[in-house]
Amino acid sequence: MKNQKDIAKDIRRKALKKNWSMFRQSKLGMIGLYIVLFFLFLSLLQPFLFITGIWNKGVYDPVVGYSEQFQEFLVVECPTEYPTDKYKSRSDCPGKLEVNVKTLFYSDAQVGETIVQNLQPAPPSSKHILGTDSLGRDVFSQVMEGSQVAFLLGLLSATLGVGISTLLGTIAAFFGGKVDAYLMRQSDLILMLPTLPLLFIISAFAELKVWHLAVVLGTIGGLGGSVITIKSQALQVKVKPFVDSARITGGSRMNILFSHVLPNVAPLALLFMVFSVTGAIASESVLSFLGLLNIDMSWGLMIYLAQVEGFIFSGMKFWWLILPAGLSVTFLAGGFYLVGRGLDEVFNPRLRKR
Amino acid sequence: MNILEVKNLDMNYETLEGNVSAVKNVSFSVKQGESFGIVGESGCGKTSVAMSLLQLQADNGKITNGEILFNGKDIVSLNETELRDIRWSGISIVFQGAMNSWNPVVKIGEQIREAIREHYPNKSKEDNTNKINELFEIVGLDSSISERYPHELSGGMKQRAVIALALSCDPKLIIADEPTTALDVVIQDQILKEIRKVQDILGLSLIYISHDIAVIAEMTDNMAVMYAGSIVEMGKTKNVFANPQHSYTKMLLESTPSIVGEKKKLRSLDGEPPSLIDNDNCCLFSYRCPNPTDNCKDRTVEMQLIKFDDEHYVDQCCKDCG
Amino acid sequence: MYKYVLRRIYQLIIVFFLFLVTSYVLFDSIPGNAFQSLLLNPELPREAYDMVIQLYGLDKPLYERVILYIQNFFKGDFGYSYVHYPRTPIELIAERLPRTLMLFAMVNIVAFYTGFLIGKILAWRRGSKSETWITVTSVFSYTVFYPWFALMMLWFFGYKLDWLPIGKFLYPEKWYDSPYDSDIIFVSMIKFIAVASVLQMLAFVYTRNIESLSARRNVRFASFTTLIVGSLIYWNTGEMLNQKIYAMDIAYHMILPVFTVTVVAFAGTALLTRTTMMEVMKDDFILTARAKGISQKRIRDRHAARNALLPVVTSFIFTIVTIIDGSVLTETIFSWPGMGQLILDSVLREDIPVAMASFSFIGVFALIAHFIADISYAYLDPRIRIQSQG
Repeated sequence: MKNQKDIAKDIRRKALKKNWSMFRQSKLGMIGLYIVLFFLFLSLLQPFLFITGIWNKGVYDPVVGYSEQFQEFLVVECPTEYPTDKYKSRSDCPGKLEVNVKTLFYSDAQVGETIVQNLQPAPPSSKHILGTDSLGRDVFSQVMEGSQVAFLLGLLSATLGVGISTLLGTIAAFFGGKVDAYLMRQSDLILMLPTLPLLFIISAFAELKVWHLAVVLGTIGGLGGSVITIKSQALQVKVKPFVDSARITGGSRMNILFSHVLPNVAPLALLFMVFSVTGAIASESVLSFLGLLNIDMSWGLMIYLAQVEGFIFSGMKFWWLILPAGLSVTFLAGGFYLVGRGLDEVFNPRLRKR
Repeated sequence: MNILEVKNLDMNYETLEGNVSAVKNVSFSVKQGESFGIVGESGCGKTSVAMSLLQLQADNGKITNGEILFNGKDIVSLNETELRDIRWSGISIVFQGAMNSWNPVVKIGEQIREAIREHYPNKSKEDNTNKINELFEIVGLDSSISERYPHELSGGMKQRAVIALALSCDPKLIIADEPTTALDVVIQDQILKEIRKVQDILGLSLIYISHDIAVIAEMTDNMAVMYAGSIVEMGKTKNVFANPQHSYTKMLLESTPSIVGEKKKLRSLDGEPPSLIDNDNCCLFSYRCPNPTDNCKDRTVEMQLIKFDDEHYVDQCCKDCG
Repeated sequence: MYKYVLRRIYQLIIVFFLFLVTSYVLFDSIPGNAFQSLLLNPELPREAYDMVIQLYGLDKPLYERVILYIQNFFKGDFGYSYVHYPRTPIELIAERLPRTLMLFAMVNIVAFYTGFLIGKILAWRRGSKSETWITVTSVFSYTVFYPWFALMMLWFFGYKLDWLPIGKFLYPEKWYDSPYDSDIIFVSMIKFIAVASVLQMLAFVYTRNIESLSARRNVRFASFTTLIVGSLIYWNTGEMLNQKIYAMDIAYHMILPVFTVTVVAFAGTALLTRTTMMEVMKDDFILTARAKGISQKRIRDRHAARNALLPVVTSFIFTIVTIIDGSVLTETIFSWPGMGQLILDSVLREDIPVAMASFSFIGVFALIAHFIADISYAYLDPRIRIQSQG
């Protein structure tokens, strides 16, 4: 008996090694993996920096930190008509390190003097790699915090969703009949409801924090269309001869379900999980962007703030408020998707190159 | 007049585990109008030889050495466009598992038309229809098959249609790669008769690949026995059957039951086919040979075909062990 | 077979019924109601508010309201909009729908075509350097953070370059003394596009019988050019000439949203096509086609892609189902008043009749789309077609 278990373990280890080397063959999968690892590193970096004290929490905390950036400005008076020899058009005045005397409410400074003002949001500097936002919070720290949120939310909702849909799908395939019909109609119902409006409604009567959102997304995703796909996969396994032989040798239904059907459905489920993470990250960002979530800090929220405060249309002037968050969402979601594509190549031999 | 001459052909597949030498120093020739058989067990390289003739091998397969002369012209060095000219109108193939040779969403007739159109673009629709009907008649199919989809035909019908397809551009040489493996014996007999008939009518040359030595005996004029990528015996079919020289050939013949003569116990070969990865040039059969010589045990003898008799060649190491 | 179809329809009705009930309950669970703003008015006595609530039956318990709603629904009475009184939900939907349809019909057609083309080429170039980075770029355009991207596009093309208008679907100044309503123009544009596409498809189908390939290509090209010339003539004569200016205005406003959404949407189709094609390429009949001496391009297009078409078309039909869901974001950002905005608006303002009507519309739409998907699958795959015929 002991030998058998050892042999089984050995086989599993070898299979894992082989799968890993196949995954490494896939360029897409590796690119995706590097991206995901990079963001994982970012999310772990932040608490590390705080704990070791390299970063002062009062200054660098993404939500309540505050950093003073003092900058000298030259006081000028902007002309009423353009162009003049100093300024070509209205948008050129005041210039980069200048301030219009008409906008100074709390100072008696005259034209030609220099005053010191608190520059928020501040452009990137040596102290703040990505600058600060309008409340003086370090943007890089916000990106890292957002990374944590994205990972937690993504993985939680994906696991939940895939868990539900795998369970329901295999049950539907296995027990058939009324159970199957009921489960199929249920997922039809979920499919019919439009996702975004549904999320709006839910956010209207329930305060959505990160955990709640993860559960909601996971449940909706899990009960939806993926049940149908997993069910068809489970059906294919069910008709394979080894399931019949398992039944003949006396395996109970539960036993067959867990030790035979589930492992064969697992690759597909894993694939779904990875793709669900992409969807979860995207949904969270969209909802934060629309201001519907009660999250302290996330990438979507960063864009929301940028839009609400009117920085979006400022173009490249305040790029550090706009680009990092948007690019992070894009790349992390894309990274997971690429990993999913790589896994696809491992599990589906027809997609391999050799 | 040799329609096909293969000289010292080497082909390997590059894989994650190493280079698989699928075809090692293979040379043979086929005269016009004759049928040439290649026999051997699964994985011995027969299909790889067939594929390399038209450079249809998988992407990771490379011809590393050798010449293939079709009608006197070397076709290994041709580029894709020139190859496409030769494909089908010069040499055509009837594949192993011809059931899957058909595109499931296109009608049979249209698929044959496509082949004709590629090589004879100026023929009219009527000409082509007539041609297709002729072909169907030769192989024994009804002309209504033209309008059917592949899944509507039975295995035997699909196989015959594949033969019709192979004939559609009037090739000089047809390669038949185990065309009857998946069919029952009755159909197999019919198909073999069709092929023979077609060959006689049209004067085609045929390369017949199989692992069934009985079929080779029936269908071919000359034959070659392959093992692990090399030819171990070659010659006129009659001669090889009457007087097999190589141990492997002898085992093959003895493993097939005969309906004449006394009941004999069938002999079989122990062991498995060898790995083809990164081998040296020694005789690969020596691992399984029932009576190896000392040379074989040392694995120092190189494989090389030498003449045994008139039109009968055998690998040199087995000349001694008999 | 017959029994199965009946059973399915019966189940469908139950599902739809449950769908209505679920939607209503969901809407009801949102705290407050559409008339709460009345309470903010200090001059309005409390009784007036109570009267309004009673008038709309909002004081009745939940289960009564649900039953009443369903009864009315099947009578065809959808009530009046709470917010846009006295317009009915049907009116509102009829007004908004063509706008969304127009936008997303264009998007889906362009995105599907581009996606299929790119996916086809990607699968064929498997393993080359260009395949990797094109695929990666496609993935990133698929997962790009949509609101951010849309805003960037708006900013870049609308503000910075000033090439395209920022949002909305027309310039009010141009339409000041127009004899037409925007709906009419939308409808005639949709009709035009529908007819043109159908004609083009028919031309394709009827030229299938031409034997010579070059002749076939020429005829199809000729039909395409005739269509273009015909369209030009159509829009420049008679009645249409008057409509043309307004149609052009709408079309001009459509360019940016269509482009933006297409960039995000094509990648889904491209990646699916790529995966399916890669699977098909391993099939034996591809090898046969190569052996026949057919050019790589032709194998890719007529053999591999044709077989990869089935799952891609099915997914295309399912994306049509999510048109309205996907349009919510786009319409909000581009200020394009269509169905998406209607749903969002009605949900946020608790205009229950309109919200229910929109949800029901989506539900029915989804069911019909599933049905069409099944039929088209049977058409495209002759194996299924023969089976379903008997």
